[in-house]
Amino acid sequence: MTYRCLFRIALLLCFSATALSTSYSLLRFQQRRSINVCQKLLRQLPSTPQHCLEVRMHFQVPEEMKKAQKFRKEDAILVLYEMLQQIFGILTKDFSSTGWSETIIEDLLVELHGQMNHLEPIQKEIMQKENFTIGDSTVLHLKNYYFNLGQYLKSMEHNSCAWTIMKAEMLRNFSVLKRLTDYLLD
Amino acid sequence: MVGTLIPQEVSSIGENHFSLIYIFPPMRFRNLQSILSWELKNHSVVPTHYTLWYTIMSKPEDMKVVKDCINITRSFCDLTHVWVNTTDMYVSRVVGFREKAELVSCMGSFFLESDRPLDPPEFEIVSFTNHISVNVKFQSVDPRILNEEELQFYLAFIEEHEGNSVKRHQPQITGNITENFNYVIDKLIPNTNYCVSVYFEPKDPRKINRSPLKCTLFQPRRESESSESATIGGIITLFLITAVFISTVMILKRIGYICLRNDFPKVLNFRKLSVWVFPELPPLEKVATVEVIHINRKKKVWNYNYDDESDVENEAAPCVNSGGYTKHGLMGRLCPASTTSASLEDCSDHSAEEPYLPEPKGDAETPMAPGPGPWQSEGTSGGYQTRGTLQQDPTSEEDSDSTERSEGRIVFNVNLNSVCVRALEDDKDSEVTLMSPSRPEETVVLEDLNETESSLLVASEERTQLPFTDPSMECLRPQDAPSDQSDTSESDVDMGDGYIVRQVNLKKFN
Repeated sequence: MTYRCLFRIALLLCFSATALSTSYSLLRFQQRRSINVCQKLLRQLPSTPQHCLEVRMHFQVPEEMKKAQKFRKEDAILVLYEMLQQIFGILTKDFSSTGWSETIIEDLLVELHGQMNHLEPIQKEIMQKENFTIGDSTVLHLKNYYFNLGQYLKSMEHNSCAWTIMKAEMLRNFSVLKRLTDYLLD
Repeated sequence: MVGTLIPQEVSSIGENHFSLIYIFPPMRFRNLQSILSWELKNHSVVPTHYTLWYTIMSKPEDMKVVKDCINITRSFCDLTHVWVNTTDMYVSRVVGFREKAELVSCMGSFFLESDRPLDPPEFEIVSFTNHISVNVKFQSVDPRILNEEELQFYLAFIEEHEGNSVKRHQPQITGNITENFNYVIDKLIPNTNYCVSVYFEPKDPRKINRSPLKCTLFQPRRESESSESATIGGIITLFLITAVFISTVMILKRIGYICLRNDFPKVLNFRKLSVWVFPELPPLEKVATVEVIHINRKKKVWNYNYDDESDVENEAAPCVNSGGYTKHGLMGRLCPASTTSASLEDCSDHSAEEPYLPEPKGDAETPMAPGPGPWQSEGTSGGYQTRGTLQQDPTSEEDSDSTERSEGRIVFNVNLNSVCVRALEDDKDSEVTLMSPSRPEETVVLEDLNETESSLLVASEERTQLPFTDPSMECLRPQDAPSDQSDTSESDVDMGDGYIVRQVNLKKFN
C-alpha cells in the first residue's frame, strides 16, 4: 500500500515537472518567434544611420544585462516583462517625422503586447512571492535606461535621426531579449 | 564605384561620375567569419586600392580603420575579429583610391545578428527504387545560428533539376534540427538524372546562398532484391520480437509474477466432479470410547508392617502388599461355577447373571476394529488392544445394558502373570479357571471389589470371559519361587487353539 502511494506521488511529480518544463519551453518558443518578428519589422523601417553619426548617444544599458546568464528564471521573467513594457511605451511616442509606416508600428505594438500577455501571469506570481534578488535592482536600472531614451527623444524633438538612434537601440534590446529568453530553458 | 552594401543604408561620393548600385549579396558570412566585400558597377574608373573604416551606433565614437584592410587591392575584407559584437549596429566606410586620390567612398550599416546569410549545409543524396533521399547535415552550420526560430526566418529549399525543370521543395523543419534532417523526393521518372541543391533562404530573397548541385541517376532497383532484403529483415525482426517476448515471459514466470503455482492440498482440490457428486467418505478410524467409572471403595490401607509376624499374612495376600502387586477386581460376565472350563463363547450366554459389563455412555456404535480379537490373535505383537469394558458400579442401573453394549469397550492389556485373580464369590474352595492367551504380554487387570480404588477393568468380548468362582485368590508371580506359595498350586493345561488354562487353587486370604 505504501509503495503504491509512493509510486503515484512520484508519477505526479514527474508529470508536474514535465508540465512545468513544457510550459517554459512553450513560452521560450513563443518569445523567440515574436522577437524575431519584431526585429524583422524594425528592419523594415527605413533609416540612414551613417547620416546620424553626430547625434549618437551612449545610453548605458545596465551592466547586469551583459551577464544575463546569471539570472534566475524568475529574474529573467521580470526583466523581460519590464523591457517589453518600456519598448512598447517608446514606440507609442511621436514618430511622424520619420515617415515610417504606421502599419509596421502597429504590428510591432501588437507583437509586444502579445509577449506581455504571455509573461504577465508569471510576472504577477513572481511579484507576489516578493523574493527578489538580481531582478529587483536590474528592473530599476532598466527603468532609468528607458527614461533616458525618452528624454533623448524629447530633447531631439522626435526627429528622424533621434528615431534612427532609437531604432538601433531597439534592435539591441531585442537581441538582449532573445538571450534572456534562452535562459528561461536553463 | 559600386559598393555591395545593404540597401537603403549606403551613400557614396562622386555621384556625378559614378553610380552606386547595390549588388547582393552584400556580405558573405562563412559560418563564423564576417567578410565584407564590394563590387564596382561602373568599371570606367577603377580604384587601385581600398581602405576600410568602421564605427558603431551605440557610442559616439570616431571611424576606425581596419588595420588589415588599408590600401588593399582586393575587394573584400575579413572582419571576423573586428566586428565581434553581434548585437550592435556597425557602420562601415570603404574608400577607393587611385594613387593618392580618393575616387569613391561607400558607407553602409550592418546589424550582424540578422544580416548574415547562412551558408548551405552539407548533404548527401541516395537513390532508391522509387525515390531519392536527401540527408542534410546540420552539424556543419554554426549552432549559434541554427535553431528552429532562426530557420523560420530562413527557409530551406531543395531544388530538383530534371533537365531544365526546376522544382523547389520546402521541407518543414520541426523539432531538434541540430542533427541530420532527411527529406524524400518521390514521384520520379526512372532512368533520369536528378540534381539537388540545398540552401537556407532568408525572408529577403536576395540573400540566398545556394549550395552546389549534387546529381544522381535515378534507376529503380530490381524488386526481388528489395523484397528479399525486406523479407530477411522482417524475419529477423520477427525472430527478435519473439525471442524478447519469450524471454520476458520466462523471466516473469521464474520470478513468480505470473503463473503462480497453487499447490493446494488434495482436500482443497475441488476440480474433480466426482468428489462433488460422490463424496468420498473419510477413512474409518479406530474410535474407542472411554468412560471413566468412579467406584467408591474403601481406601486401600497399606499395612506397612515390617514385623516378621506379619510376613505370613503378607505372603498370604501378596497381591496386596508384597511384590508390588496391585489388587484389582475383575468385573465381567461370570460363567457359572460349573463351567470351570467354559470357553469364552459360552460365557456370553449368561449375560443376565452377571453384574454387567458396562458400556461407555453415549458411544455404543463404536465400530469394531477389523482384525483378530484380542483373545484370539496369537500372532500379533505385544501391546495389541483387547476389547474390554470398564467396570461399573454394581449399583448402577446400567448393569442390564452392559452386555448389549459390550462392543464399545476400552481395551487395555493386563499381564496375567503379574496380577492376582480372585473370584468374587465366597466359595473358598472353588477353583478358578483362568483362560489367558498364550502370550505373556496380554494381561488382565482384575479388580477387587473390596478395594476402594477405582480402576479400569478389562474384560473382553464374549470370548474374553474370565470365569472365576472365588473372590479370594492367590497371586502368584511366575518368577516367584513356588515355595513362597506353598499352599497354592497351579498347572497349565493346554486346551489347544493356543489357549492355556491355568488352574490355580486359591486360598482365601484376607
